[in-house]
Amino acid sequence: MTRSFFSTVLLCSAFSLMSLPVLADGMVVDKVYHPYVLPFEREVEWRLLSRQTDDRNVLAQRAGLGWAITESVTVEGYMIGERDPADNFDLAAYELEARWQMVEQGRYWADWGMLFELEKRHKISAYEATIGMLFEKEFGKTSLTMNAFIVREWGQAIKNEWESEFRAQLRYRYDPAFQPAIELYSGEDFVGVGPAIIGLYRFAGQRQLKWEVGFVSEISHSGKDHSFRLALEFEF
Amino acid sequence: MLVIRSYMFVISLFYLFFTPRALAADSVNIILKDHLFMPAEIEIPAGKKVRLIIDNQDDTAEEFDSFDLNREKVLFPHRKSVIYIGPLSIGEYRFFGEFSPNTAQGKVIVRESTDAP
Repeated sequence: MTRSFFSTVLLCSAFSLMSLPVLADGMVVDKVYHPYVLPFEREVEWRLLSRQTDDRNVLAQRAGLGWAITESVTVEGYMIGERDPADNFDLAAYELEARWQMVEQGRYWADWGMLFELEKRHKISAYEATIGMLFEKEFGKTSLTMNAFIVREWGQAIKNEWESEFRAQLRYRYDPAFQPAIELYSGEDFVGVGPAIIGLYRFAGQRQLKWEVGFVSEISHSGKDHSFRLALEFEF
Repeated sequence: MLVIRSYMFVISLFYLFFTPRALAADSVNIILKDHLFMPAEIEIPAGKKVRLIIDNQDDTAEEFDSFDLNREKVLFPHRKSVIYIGPLSIGEYRFFGEFSPNTAQGKVIVRESTDAP
C-alpha cells in the first residue's frame, strides 16, 4: 500500500514535468483519454467545447469516426469546426488519431497506452503532431487517469514550436450512468480544474452511448476563463 | 529545456513501469459454451490479483463485460482469453456477455483469504 502510494506520487510528479509553463496558442480543455482499446469497436463521436473569457467566447466542435484496426490499436478521424472572430462557424481543421493499448488491463501495477495525433488546419499551412502517454490506475472504485503529451507545431502560418500538455481525471465509478470526476488540464499557459460527470447507457449487443460533461475553471490567472465541455460517443 | 524535461519524464516512466512489477496472480479457469459461463460463480480471495482464463468454446465471439469489475474484453471464438481482476474487497461482482446477456451471466464472490479455495 505504501509502495503503491509512493509510486503514484512519483508518477504524478513525472507526469507533471510535462506541464511546466509553455506558450499559448490553442485550447487545452478537451478530453482525458483512457489507455484501452476494444477489438471490433467502432464509434462515432461528437465533442463540444465552449470557453468563456472576459473578452470573448470560443466555440469548437468536432465530429469523429473511429474503429479498431487490431486487437490493441484504434484509429479515429475528426473534422473540427470552430467559430471565428466574426462569429462564423466553419470547418477549421482535420485530425487523424491512433490509440494503442500497450498492456493488458489489470496485469501490471497500472495500465499504459499511447496516443498519436496529426492535425492539419483547413486552408492554411499549419500542422500539429502529438505523441502522448496514457496512464490509468484503479484504487477500488476510483480510477486515476493521466495523459502527458508532447506537441510539435509547424507550418508557414504558425510558429514552429514544441509544446506540452497534461490532463488528469479522478473518477468514482458509482454507477454506469453516473460517474462523478474531477479533471485537471494544464499546458499552453493554462491550468484548469473542475468537476465532470461521465456515464454510459448500454443498448443490445455491443452498442452503447457514453457521455462526458465537464466544467473547467482556469486557476492560474485572474479574470474569467471557464470552459464547458460535452462529449458523446456512440459505440457499435 | 523541454527536451530535458522529456528525458526526465521518460526515465521516470521506465522506473515506474519496471519496478512495481505485476503481482503474482492465481488463475481461475472458466469455460464459455452455448453462451453460458461455467462455472457461473467463482470464489476468489480478497486482496489478491486473480487471472481469469476464459475458454470460449462457442463458434461466435462474446464480450465479457462487468462494470463492477471495471473490465470489458472480447472473447474470440475457440480461444482462451485472460482477464486480470483485483485486488478486490469482499463482496459480489457481477459479469455478463454483451452478446448473450440473458444466458451468459456470472458472479465473482470475493471472500476473506482463508475462506476462499
